[in-house]
Amino acid sequence: MTQVRRRFHEELEDLERDLMAMGEMAESMLGEAIDILVNPEHPAKKAEIEALVDRDDAVDDLYLSIERRWHEVMAMQTPVAVDLRLMSAMLHINAHLERMADVAVNIAKTARKVRRLPTSDVILGYIREMGDVARHMIRTAMESFATRNHELATQLPDMDDDVDRLNGRMYREVRKCDEDSELLEWGIRMMVISRHLERVGDHAVDIAEQVAFLLTGVFREFNEDTSPDVDDD
Amino acid sequence: MDVIDSADPAARAATPGESAATAPDEAETFVLRVEGLNAFYGDFQAVAEVDLDIRGNEITALIGPSGCGKSTVLRCFNRMNDLIEVARVEGSVRYHGVDLYGPNVDAVEVRRRIGMVFQKPNPFPKSIYDNIAFGPKIAGYQGNMDDLVEESLIKAALWTEVNDKLRESAFALSGGQQQRLCIARAIATSPDVLLMDEPCSALDPIATLRIEELMTELKRDYTIIIVTHNMQQAARVSDRTAFFTVDAEREQRTGVLVEFGETATMFTRPTQQKTEDYITGRFG
Repeated sequence: MTQVRRRFHEELEDLERDLMAMGEMAESMLGEAIDILVNPEHPAKKAEIEALVDRDDAVDDLYLSIERRWHEVMAMQTPVAVDLRLMSAMLHINAHLERMADVAVNIAKTARKVRRLPTSDVILGYIREMGDVARHMIRTAMESFATRNHELATQLPDMDDDVDRLNGRMYREVRKCDEDSELLEWGIRMMVISRHLERVGDHAVDIAEQVAFLLTGVFREFNEDTSPDVDDD
Repeated sequence: MDVIDSADPAARAATPGESAATAPDEAETFVLRVEGLNAFYGDFQAVAEVDLDIRGNEITALIGPSGCGKSTVLRCFNRMNDLIEVARVEGSVRYHGVDLYGPNVDAVEVRRRIGMVFQKPNPFPKSIYDNIAFGPKIAGYQGNMDDLVEESLIKAALWTEVNDKLRESAFALSGGQQQRLCIARAIATSPDVLLMDEPCSALDPIATLRIEELMTELKRDYTIIIVTHNMQQAARVSDRTAFFTVDAEREQRTGVLVEFGETATMFTRPTQQKTEDYITGRFG
C-alpha cells in the first residue's frame, strides 16, 4: 500500500523531532542549574545564569513554534486514531517540557541569591540526588516516547517515589537549620527547590502517561495522588 | 499568439506593449491575476467583483456553499465559459500579464496552457495510451510519443500500475486510476496551470488521498487551482484558500469572494465572521 498522506506524516515527524530536542534541552539545563547550586566551588556568575536564561528563551521559542504548528496540523489535517493520540500527547508533552526548562532557570537564579549563605551538606546531597533522579526520569520518559516503549513508560512512577521520598525528608532537615538564621534562610530556599524538583518528577510521570495513552488508546493516571507527602515528624 | 509568447518570460519582455501593463516580476509571481471579475449567464449574474491573485507553483483552493460561483470563477480561468452561449465575462483575467479575454488570444491555446480535470473521471473510450497521446497528436506533437506517454503517466503516479496494459481500455481502470489518467492526459499537452473542479468527489477516501498526494507532487511543476466542496480537502492540500459565498444583499443569488489568504491562517484564525461560520459549520 502506498503512503497517501506523506506530507501530513512528515509534519508529525517534524513536531516529534522538535519535542525530542526540547526534551534534551530541558534535561541538560536542569543538570547545569543543579551543578551551579550544589557545587560550592561554582561561582554562580551572572553570565552563566544569563546563558541559562538564553537557553530557556530558545526552549520558549521552540514551545511556541510547536504550539503554532500543532494548531495548523490539527486544523488542516484532521488527524484520527493513532495520529490523533500522538497529536494529543505532543501538546501535553510540549507544555511539560517548557515548565521543566523554567524550573532550571529558577534553580539557577536561586543559586545566585544564596551564594553567600551557609549550606548543609545533607540537604545539598538530597538536592543532588533529586536532580539526578529527575533528569533520569526526563530521559526515560522521552525515550519511552521516542521508542514507543510502554514498559519503559510504566517505570516512571517508581522513580517518582524516590523523588517524593527525598522531598519528604527535606522539611525535617531544614528544621535542623533553625539555630542559624542565615542557614535557615538558605534551607527554606532549598525547600522551594526541592518542591520544584518534585514537580519535575511529576511532569515526567505525566509525559509517560501520555506515552501510555498513545500506545494503548486508554488514558489513566499512573499515580492517583500526585501531591507530595511532607515528612514533618 | 499573445498567450504563448507571454508564457515565456524572455518572449514576454520582448512583446510590445506588455511591459507597460504588467511588470515582469509581478507577472512571474502571479500566474493569474483576476481584477473586477463579473460573470453572467444571460441576465443572471453568477459572480460579482472578484479580485484574486494566483501564485505560481502553489495550490489554491476555491471553497464555498453550492451556488457561490466558485466553479464559474474556475471556468473563467481557461475560458470554458465561452462554450456556454449565454455566458459573458467582464473585468480582467491576466495570465502572465496577458488579458485572457483580449482580442488576439486563442481560447484553444488558452486551454492547452491551462488544463482542466473534471469532477467525474472522463477518459476517452480509447486505450490508456491513446488517452494520453490524443491531445498532443492533435496539437501536432513532433517528439517521441512513447516517451511523452510514459513521462505523463509517471508524473500522474500511474505508470507503475498501468505500464503493462497501455493498450487496454481506459474504462478497465478503477475510478481513482481513471482520474489520475485524466490528470496525465492534461499534463501531456505541457500546461502551466491545472484547474481541478471537484476532482475527488466521485472517488473513495483512499483514492481521494492518493490524488491529494499527487497534487502536492505536481505543484513543483504546475500551478493548481482546485474547486472543492470538501473543506478538509482544501485544508489538507492547498497553500491558499479563497472562500466564496452568496451575497444575501443582492436580488440575485450572486457569488462574491469573502476572504482569500493562506490556508493555515484561514483554518486557524479567519479574518471574516462569514468564513468562520462556514468552516465551523455554523452556516452552510
